[in-house]
Amino acid sequence: MKQEIKNEQINTAVHAPVVAKQRKKLTKSSSIPGWLFASPWIIGLVLFYAFPLFSSIYYSFTTYSILQPGEFVGLENYYKLFNDELFWKSIYNTVYFAVFFVPLSIIIGVALAMMLNMKVKGMAIYRTIFFLPTLVPQVALAVLWMWLLNPGFGLVNSLLDVVGIPGPNWLGSELWSKPSLILMSLWAIGQPVIIYLAGLGDIPNELYEAAEVDGANWFQKTISVTLPLLTPVIFFNLVMGSIGAFQQFTLPYTMTQGQGTPANSLTFYVMYLYDNAFKFFKMGYASAMAWILFVIIMALTAVIFITSKRWVHYQGK
Amino acid sequence: MSINKMKFLVFLLMFISFGLITGCSSGDQTSTGDSNADSGSGGGKGKTTITFWHSMTDTSGDAVEEVIKEFEKQNPDIKVNASYIANQGEGQNEKLLTAIAGGNPPDVAYFDRFEVASWAAQGSLEKLTDLAESSGITQDKYYPFSWKEASYEGDLYAIPTTTDSRLLFYNKDQFEEVGLDPENPPSTIAELEEAAKKLTIKDGNRFKRIGFIPWYGQGWFYGWGWSFGGKFYDSSTQTATANNPKNVEALQWITDFAKEYGVEDIAGFTDSQGSGAMDPFLTGQLSMKIDGNFGVASIEKFKPDLNYGVAPMPTPTGDNFTTWSGGWSVVIPKGAKNKEAAWEFLKFFGGEEGQKIFSKISRDFSVIDSVNEELGYKDDPIFSQFIKILPESHARPVMTQGSLYWNELASAVEGATRGNGTPEEILTKVNEKVNSALKE
Repeated sequence: MKQEIKNEQINTAVHAPVVAKQRKKLTKSSSIPGWLFASPWIIGLVLFYAFPLFSSIYYSFTTYSILQPGEFVGLENYYKLFNDELFWKSIYNTVYFAVFFVPLSIIIGVALAMMLNMKVKGMAIYRTIFFLPTLVPQVALAVLWMWLLNPGFGLVNSLLDVVGIPGPNWLGSELWSKPSLILMSLWAIGQPVIIYLAGLGDIPNELYEAAEVDGANWFQKTISVTLPLLTPVIFFNLVMGSIGAFQQFTLPYTMTQGQGTPANSLTFYVMYLYDNAFKFFKMGYASAMAWILFVIIMALTAVIFITSKRWVHYQGK
Repeated sequence: MSINKMKFLVFLLMFISFGLITGCSSGDQTSTGDSNADSGSGGGKGKTTITFWHSMTDTSGDAVEEVIKEFEKQNPDIKVNASYIANQGEGQNEKLLTAIAGGNPPDVAYFDRFEVASWAAQGSLEKLTDLAESSGITQDKYYPFSWKEASYEGDLYAIPTTTDSRLLFYNKDQFEEVGLDPENPPSTIAELEEAAKKLTIKDGNRFKRIGFIPWYGQGWFYGWGWSFGGKFYDSSTQTATANNPKNVEALQWITDFAKEYGVEDIAGFTDSQGSGAMDPFLTGQLSMKIDGNFGVASIEKFKPDLNYGVAPMPTPTGDNFTTWSGGWSVVIPKGAKNKEAAWEFLKFFGGEEGQKIFSKISRDFSVIDSVNEELGYKDDPIFSQFIKILPESHARPVMTQGSLYWNELASAVEGATRGNGTPEEILTKVNEKVNSALKE
């Protein structure tokens, strides 16, 4: 027996180079149908993503207006942007939203997921309830919350009145408009919660058992087992959440009919970009804005990725 | 094996090219469909279908339907396919813009007239000068400002359809209630302030009733600037003059008003209000407002027994009353496929007959003076006031950056009342921004 195996090993060892050569040939020729199969997607990607993407670099140096090709103006669009007050205001609004919304969505999302991970009867119902708001279209969500936050007869202020707190004019005040928006966005947090739940399900029970044997209480287990092993999922949601926060558009746009009222306190970066592109015939200017946003998001994602080595713990490593 | 592979590749290529062919041919089909329709209109057999995009609902929606019905009766070979587009006009035309850029626009679009110049400058509207000449449509039938707004650099790009003007609406019962003369509405700014103060009932930081809000309804800054004697555009130098001292004065007055009543409290009040039957002027929560003649239709519809009157917008001196007029038009977007049939519709809508049908139902003023007279607008105690002021009325500047200027002025009022800079600073900034955009 042993002898046979040895022989075989020798055989394969002898044939190995030949086989490899054949395989190389095989992969080379069989990749053509593969490319062909992928071609509808590749053509779509090149035609509808790559081409517009790279042309927008060129357009950002022109006065392109969608209807007219415009002229080449070099860096003028970028120069103008840096002197455009509303541009800075929109960056401030967007950063404000991202800085508060992303960490809050992680804290609340993880807490919610942990609560929805308890072994209680009827958990499927609770999970469904918390996921439901995600299914509400953004426009409907805007209308719903405009009613809830209505200063005159909204539910939120009526409840506050009962407790004796005079509620602010949520969406009509410069101070409260952005916090209101953050609140509304947090309401539809179901998507990341589902991902956190999957992450929680992935943590092996042995670790909790071991911790219990060591006498750890709930808090210690959460800090030393749950959270570290949830970091890959938190990492994912942090990256996606930040990108999403910088692209905030639908909710404030529908709520303010595109005006960003009150006093431009809800004019977000992409809203201003959209106005320039489709209302003021300044597609070149808008393209420049798009590329600045791309650089910002790219840099931010890079920073998150670099630091992730220090705080993200993958299982089995 | 290689033969099999060859077969497979051939099959795959066939599959892909089949897809391409069907893709193309479906495009061909629609274009032949169109050309059939075109020849149909020439030869009298078959129907030409023209698409018409508009943003009208409610009474004007009913009115435009009647216009189309009558047009189709008179032109049996043309069918009008009307679709409602939510965002069209008042600085929002994204859908129309992308449709024109994509080469697939509607044949006719209902279009906010003050934007005709900017769109014409972008080459996105069909020139109508020759068509109008050959059909005998001339300027003298229309109100001069409406024709001016429909033209750009000497060429006609739109057929005007409606116009309007803005006045002060006031609730006569409430005037009597607080001891003001209901037959003698405020004519100066000082009187207006005094009346507003008397009419306002405030409970804590909530308004039970508010006398007046300068920027509510149709209280756009153009109206106040002109009422204060300001100017917005110098057509000889083609520059904006947003920071004209009189404009600054007007914005200062609005800002002071906001400060006195608390802008956030007012916002809390206005955010809780609805439109239509829930309009605060109709529910009695707002005693005076600036609104256009189109506001009359909803009063007639929802609260016909409201005891109200209209008067010119107050001015600092109590004379030199003025207002501003906007209005709509119909245009043929660049690249429209059925230009001839579209022109027939434009002609009908903008002509006496179409105007009569539309104006009668929508209660919008016609751009043709004789139509307004025939419909009795000049005898009606309320409507006659709106018509009377038309000769003194301003129209928004005919310029290539009309939408930008409009939006900038709206946020200027917003910024000033919220205390984000002095009126002069804000209007100077508006001026710089619009002028730099005009230079491009």
